[in-house]
Amino acid sequence: MDELRLIQTPAPHIKSVIHVPGIMMMVVLALLPATIFGIYFFGPAYTFSPLLFSIVSCLFFEWFDCKIFKKPVSIQDGSALVTGLLLGLSLPPGSPFWLAIAGGGIAVILGKQVFGGLGQNIFNPALVGRAVLLISWPKLMTTWIAKASFAFPNLEQGALALPQGVDVITTPTALAVSKGYGFSLLNQLEPKIVWRLFIGNVPGCIGETSALLLLIGFFFLLWKGIVRWDVPLFFVIGLAGVALVAGQNPLFHILSGGAIIGACFMANDYTTTPLFFKSRLIFGFGAGAITGIIRILGGYPEGVTFGILTMNAIVPLLDKLMPRQFGVKKS
Amino acid sequence: MKGKIFHGGIHPPTFKELTSQKPIKKFPSPEKVYLPLLQHTGSPLRPLVKKGDRVKKGQKIADVEAYVSAPLHSPLAGKVASIEEWPHPVRGKYLTIIIENDGTQDVEHQGILTWDEIEKIDIKALREWIREGGFVGLGGAAFPTHVKVSPPPGKNILTLLINGAECEPFITCDHRVMIERTETVLTGIFILARSCGAQEVIFGIEQNKPDGIEKITAAIINFPIPIRVFPLPTLYPQGSEKHFILTVLGKEVPPGGLPLDVGVVVNNVQTAWAIGRKATEGLPLIERVITMTGDCLNSPENVDVPLGARLAEVVDFCGGFQQSPHKAIMGGPMTGIAQVSLDVPVIKGTSGFVFLKKAIQKKEYPCIRCGRCVIHCPMYLLPTDLARYAEYGDFEEAKKQRALDCVECGSCSYVCPAGIPITHYIKIAKAEILFQSKKGGK
Repeated sequence: MDELRLIQTPAPHIKSVIHVPGIMMMVVLALLPATIFGIYFFGPAYTFSPLLFSIVSCLFFEWFDCKIFKKPVSIQDGSALVTGLLLGLSLPPGSPFWLAIAGGGIAVILGKQVFGGLGQNIFNPALVGRAVLLISWPKLMTTWIAKASFAFPNLEQGALALPQGVDVITTPTALAVSKGYGFSLLNQLEPKIVWRLFIGNVPGCIGETSALLLLIGFFFLLWKGIVRWDVPLFFVIGLAGVALVAGQNPLFHILSGGAIIGACFMANDYTTTPLFFKSRLIFGFGAGAITGIIRILGGYPEGVTFGILTMNAIVPLLDKLMPRQFGVKKS
Repeated sequence: MKGKIFHGGIHPPTFKELTSQKPIKKFPSPEKVYLPLLQHTGSPLRPLVKKGDRVKKGQKIADVEAYVSAPLHSPLAGKVASIEEWPHPVRGKYLTIIIENDGTQDVEHQGILTWDEIEKIDIKALREWIREGGFVGLGGAAFPTHVKVSPPPGKNILTLLINGAECEPFITCDHRVMIERTETVLTGIFILARSCGAQEVIFGIEQNKPDGIEKITAAIINFPIPIRVFPLPTLYPQGSEKHFILTVLGKEVPPGGLPLDVGVVVNNVQTAWAIGRKATEGLPLIERVITMTGDCLNSPENVDVPLGARLAEVVDFCGGFQQSPHKAIMGGPMTGIAQVSLDVPVIKGTSGFVFLKKAIQKKEYPCIRCGRCVIHCPMYLLPTDLARYAEYGDFEEAKKQRALDCVECGSCSYVCPAGIPITHYIKIAKAEILFQSKKGGK
């Protein structure tokens, strides 16, 4: 027999097969249906460049940061890819390429690398990027386009009907119409609004419109054991609760804007959510409730970004809610 | 009384089918045996023999005055070849008595006990009888049995639990012992119950051993004290003492406490067998059944080996290797210890050896706080943070965050997608905390 070369490592000597890049790839896979729908629905001319530049920018800036600070290059862990994709999906169709590049740089550098890279960040990187873009270029970040047949009339300019004979037009989102003129008017303009929000043929960010496809992706991750159900569910409960208190249609709020992509893919991010069940429920509920409050009382029609970022900030506090100790009864 | 399923836990592949249906094979008497003076948890032994002495099979060859200890007996008749440093499966190297087999069959018997005698014997005498047999927990921890069954004044043991969970993947020796040596196991259980004063016995067996459950259930009908079989859910770490008690009785052992604190003592199936064997054959703990298994052994087996048998010889007995292993683990793959040499002997705490073709190494990433370790930790800990405190040397904080509660089951490391050796870090923290508190105490 050839000579034995026994390797010594600490127990356990068997391991589960799941690993970090695998998880990241699963998330990308889960986002693909919504991504493909966004490209198809808004048209490649308006979606390809924001998506591509956002992803490339995130990868580049992570590589760049590693090089500058002489750290091992970490882009192969896949997290920059996920950040880039999530950021791209939450940009309006037709965003200029430089907006995506700026967003990607901010997301990766300011959102993640300055905290120490993967796993160290306090705020969801994609949302940090988006928040900075939203504050810096509010006009660009709230100008929506859609194929004319799926758009809403531009009520601000007094139009009550859609212009004829044009292909792609600027349009308000369903949330903006509802916020500015009330849900009843929106319902008059489009009686099937809730159904359309569920399917996704409404104006909005590239990847946020189709609740159905996002939920399919989410349930795929749930089935694979990649994500948990607690944060998304309580996000939705928080949002619906605020809507009910305000006397608005809760289903409309859950399906519109970035609520579903936010609840399932952003609020549910590993690093920036609490670890314990109880803390996670509070986190999800809080993020959903703040989203609702911003939508109803705040200056923006949409509040998912700031709802999640606000709750991200108190995660260390929520993680102090440790479960009871084994062998010690609750006092 | 109803038990509970504990929080967390994992379902690793069991690989038990390699050996679970293979009857125990007897290992032939070896040329030499290697008996380290540390076989149990507690004080190391001092040799009672010197080089050149003749010893009989079953003769006591090492002992120590300390309470937490168990004497060592020679598994064969022969001559003490030397007392020297020799590879030890846990301690690297340790002072070891090496005995050369002379082929004779001289046996020194200890007192046997019939069931009637067990019923009548004085409890103190019975505990001494157990100590003289050198019995320790054969599940792996090797804690001296006579200490376990002697509750301090003011504490009473109500229930004797027999741990037949055998939750470690690959290992099947307890399974085979409970099926093939049922009568002896029951004798041992009776002695254990008498010696600790338990009023009731519960025999827990994981549901992945239906034949074991069936066999024991049928055999306990005429047992003199109340006894029942408790089928346990198949969930790692079901065999961990604290989780075993929780599942069977619904009671939680307090932090830093012993099963005694909830009126319970837990003993392993094979410990009961070894004790029952002394009652019937008069032989102390000089042999045990181990599982030789893994993905590169020609013929995985459950082997009845004398203590001190050299691993390389037991490997040959199992047909040698199909291909060279890169991992040789004493114990199960979740908590076992990787070996560097096949010269190590079988000791009292050896439940088996697992040989793996490949050493599974996950690429290490930073913790992404996925929370898997928290979900799967059976002790409600926050393993990833404990590992980080240990990494940065903040043992005070690790202690505050209950590092000492960790039962070292390995579930966190098993599930970690970032490949972080979390359990290993926590073990380091625990050792450091205990070291500091000892230093502070003096």
